Amino acid sequence: MTHEDFETIAALDAVGAATAEEAAELRRHLGECIPCRRAMQEYAEAATLLARDLDPVAPPAELRASVMDGVRSGGTGEGNNVTRMTWLAAAAAVLFAVVGLWQASNVRRLNDDNEHLLKERLMLRQQADTLSAELEALAAHDTRQIALTGQVIAPSASAKVFLEPSRKRAVVFFHNLPVNGQDKSYQLWLIRADQPKPVSAGVFDAGKNGRASISIENLPISTEIKGLAVTLEPRGGVQQPTNTDFIVSGNVS
Amino acid sequence: MHAFEALYDRHSSAIYALLLRILGNADDAQEVLQETFVKAWTNARSFDAVRGSEIAWLIAIARSRGIDRLRSRRIRSDRENDAGREESVRSTFVVHATGIEKAIESEERIAVRSALTALPEAQRHALELAYFEGLSQSEIAARLGEPLGTIKTRIQLGMKKLRERLQAFHP
Repeated sequence: MTHEDFETIAALDAVGAATAEEAAELRRHLGECIPCRRAMQEYAEAATLLARDLDPVAPPAELRASVMDGVRSGGTGEGNNVTRMTWLAAAAAVLFAVVGLWQASNVRRLNDDNEHLLKERLMLRQQADTLSAELEALAAHDTRQIALTGQVIAPSASAKVFLEPSRKRAVVFFHNLPVNGQDKSYQLWLIRADQPKPVSAGVFDAGKNGRASISIENLPISTEIKGLAVTLEPRGGVQQPTNTDFIVSGNVS
Repeated sequence: MHAFEALYDRHSSAIYALLLRILGNADDAQEVLQETFVKAWTNARSFDAVRGSEIAWLIAIARSRGIDRLRSRRIRSDRENDAGREESVRSTFVVHATGIEKAIESEERIAVRSALTALPEAQRHALELAYFEGLSQSEIAARLGEPLGTIKTRIQLGMKKLRERLQAFHP
């Protein structure tokens, strides 16, 4: 199968219409192909347009408290699914009692282990993807390096931008950033020549060592990027910067 | 926790609308909404803003759970009862939708709407049957009485157009 074939399957899979065989084949391929993985992410995001077209409907006010209670109690708010799972597990336990109750506990433990390993695997795959994209950007023949310097409120902060025009992407490494509070996120802004307002390029957190990195895909390289800047914003980011207290900034010459 | 409450306040109406559309039943939609946000909380580390937006991440969780619920309901329930309930709920949420949320339709929603209205009706219909009803290519073909290849092509073309429009929103 060619990359084009896989992109076609990705389009179907994004709306859940790929067959089980196609989906399995696609998953195998995505594990080793970054461009197809990127295409899959774009199709998945595009599919959400179908949902975003719906008129919003406010859920009942009491549901909010119920969700927050569920979260505070460590995720017991899984509702009826958990209840159903519990019933299924109970039914299974009765069945298993025929051959020995100890098997039920083994199955439960294995399920827990399996879920834990699956989560770890997903996390590691994401980390591997990020590292792979960062390495590619650093090693490309046309990569440009741009320095961002710390401003008044964080003079020792700095950042290096590795811009890879041919792939329309960049990787930015930050150093000595103050740790952001739990209710705040750092947000990177592109200042474009063709737009009066800055455009968000992503939201990130700084580690305790003051370091962070962020990858930017689909950079608008056909238009001039005049500069980049980082501000501290409410958690999750905002449409437009709420302040001009730049943490780091720099011009793209 | 404040951030999570803000996340809920920002997106719960959009997620609830999606779940009502998929499940057509307020009780199920509320349960799955709750599951969605609890899962978002427990899996918060899996969210990566560079890979996709916050709302897209929540929508993916909600849709997956909603379709799972829909499929298990299809298996265990008699469809006639469900059809009756869906009808009454749908008329309820249309009333809600005429409220304040509709008045604050954002610039992005207008752009989303234009992307979808630009799709030929047949392509959009095929996408909706897959996305909201969880139907496979062959189930859609059977439902519409069209050849499987035609349905596959419609979905592919529709998704390609949506992807292009999305790239235009976020160049």
